[in-house]
Amino acid sequence: MSDINKQRRQFLKLATAISVAVASLSPMQVIAGKITEDNKMDATEHAVFTKMLTISLPTEGSPLIPPASLPVIPTIEGALLAGMPPHIRQSLNQGIHYFNQGPLKKYGKSFNELPDEQATAFVDEWTSSNKAPHRALAMGLKKLTVLAYWAIPDTWTPLGYVGPVSEKWKLKYRGVTPEPKA
Amino acid sequence: MMSNKNQLNVKTSEDMTATELNIEADVVIIGSGAGGGISAYELAKAGKKVIILEAGPFVPSEKFTEMMAVSMATMYEGEGAQSNTDGDITVLQGRCVGGSTVVNAALCFRTPDYYLKKWGKEFGLTNLTPEVMLPYFEKVEKNLGITEVKPHETSSGAETIKKGLKALDIPLGLARRNIRDCAMTGFCFAGCKTDRKQSMMVTYLPWACNHGAEIYADTRVTKITAENGTAKGVNAEVIDPKTGVTKTRLSVKAPIVVLAAGPTGSPLLLQQSGLANSSGQVGKNFACHPSLSVTAIYEKKLNDFHGATHSLFDDRHTLPENGGWIQLNAVQDPVEASFMAEPGTGKPYVRYMQNYPNSTRLITLIHDKNVGEVTMENGYKEIRYQVDDEDFEAMKKGLKENARILFASGAKYLYLPTYDTQRINSVDEIDSVIDALENESARYRYTSFHPQGTCRMGADKSKTVVNPYGETHDIKNLYVVDASLLPTSIGYNPSETVYALASYIADHINEANPG
Repeated sequence: MSDINKQRRQFLKLATAISVAVASLSPMQVIAGKITEDNKMDATEHAVFTKMLTISLPTEGSPLIPPASLPVIPTIEGALLAGMPPHIRQSLNQGIHYFNQGPLKKYGKSFNELPDEQATAFVDEWTSSNKAPHRALAMGLKKLTVLAYWAIPDTWTPLGYVGPVSEKWKLKYRGVTPEPKA
Repeated sequence: MMSNKNQLNVKTSEDMTATELNIEADVVIIGSGAGGGISAYELAKAGKKVIILEAGPFVPSEKFTEMMAVSMATMYEGEGAQSNTDGDITVLQGRCVGGSTVVNAALCFRTPDYYLKKWGKEFGLTNLTPEVMLPYFEKVEKNLGITEVKPHETSSGAETIKKGLKALDIPLGLARRNIRDCAMTGFCFAGCKTDRKQSMMVTYLPWACNHGAEIYADTRVTKITAENGTAKGVNAEVIDPKTGVTKTRLSVKAPIVVLAAGPTGSPLLLQQSGLANSSGQVGKNFACHPSLSVTAIYEKKLNDFHGATHSLFDDRHTLPENGGWIQLNAVQDPVEASFMAEPGTGKPYVRYMQNYPNSTRLITLIHDKNVGEVTMENGYKEIRYQVDDEDFEAMKKGLKENARILFASGAKYLYLPTYDTQRINSVDEIDSVIDALENESARYRYTSFHPQGTCRMGADKSKTVVNPYGETHDIKNLYVVDASLLPTSIGYNPSETVYALASYIADHINEANPG
């Protein structure tokens, strides 16, 4: 297998790891794993997610709840990263570092150091890139970040969405259906 | 502690005290979903001692949260994150007592005669004629309350899309679902909290328990055992889901083994056990009905938050010769909506989510070729599958039709479920935008609800895994009863096909093993 193919394969795996991470999010942190030295966010990861959150949800002038007022980053760390299998967690860490270095050539700065406008442009460039790993990383990290925001029930109120309804509507349990008679 | 809640005779890891447990039974069933649940009841009712082993947890319905992210984390395979190797198709399957029947949308279609005839001609399944299968469809429909949606069982999104179908003179397909007294919460995918959906957990499994069946949750089968070409039982581990620690090593000796671990689990278990693979076909021929959701934004609020999860469809093009796609409406919560489209980073995304109350979605799902494979690599499951080029062209045709329906229903503009921004602003733009789409990995946000085909059923033992009666060609009394069986994808939700095939195979098992 060529180096290019190996690299492609590695980052496609990374994209999978990010998908795994994204879909495992818990809005109530009921499945939160234990944060340890091995799985907690490092400084770069924290900075990348913080920047991604800022540029993904610029809520000023809208009725949406400002993301800075919500525990989005702790949700990512506690409900997601801490519960990930170690090999996926490690791949995700590598992917985030790779992503952070992505803008260096064009913009002269890492992602977390970019002004918001340039960081936004960089993310849009990578989601429409010709390189599948770039698309996967940009989309995956953005998806991860916004999901962590929308997984917090407080964010639903400005949309008019009320969440769970069975108890609010006082629905009766139907229970087990009787066994058919022979 | 044994729980009799919902009349299920379930033991979980919390109930296990011994480090080893040996059980003897007439039948051991691996998996408690559609195939496992129906087999359990039909075999237990015939007087057999049945043990059901479920890898997932037991989650009583009163603990369902009606929040998708929590449900995925607790009741879905891979915590809802199972995907193909490229990571661009999420493959959703239930992993709990009741399996996918607990978290599916309850949509039911009989297997089209087209496929039963095709399977007879191409796979030697001449026993599965429409006439033979009819009473099985009728039986499961009666038992599971499968009926067409009533006029009030709809949603605001469905009513809006209905206008588009009418404007285009497209016949309205009304969903048939295994639901009784639908409360229209819209939480089918998160589990029906008040037991209206007729999942295995409120039907066949407790009925099986009425006849002595026992269910072990948190129990992962590690090996199917066989001697001299005949099934002998299974080895399993009961694992504490909170710690991952094995609490009990379980051995079940049983002369009949029924495999119902689903289209990704069943082939892996056969591979791990080194059984039933003389054809080399175990794990191959994976198909999954890839689907894409088009999001439509309207001038007025629809508030398509609750209602019947699915209530209408357009299946004029579902058979392969007619195109090979189906359109289905679906409600969605904000968490799902938040990643279904790519309007652009920042302010465009904020505007998109502000418009969530003004949106609905229409799903295009395709009949696909069996081009994938499920294997275990370095200790981890791999689903090697990419959408075939011809299938992708079918998807594009389906997306065009989808977009026309949505515009005819009054949509202002549409978002395609892509990684980059693909917005369609008018009917005139549909062809140019969709024609430009290319079949590449990491471009589209696919979801699959219907993995299938990995233990193909057929008469030719050199090309298939399971014979026309569900028994593996190689190992006597080892049966497969889940969607792995399907020789081809069928383009429609396969749950009723599995219900009917499991009933049919159970009758065969009882006939072959009387007493």
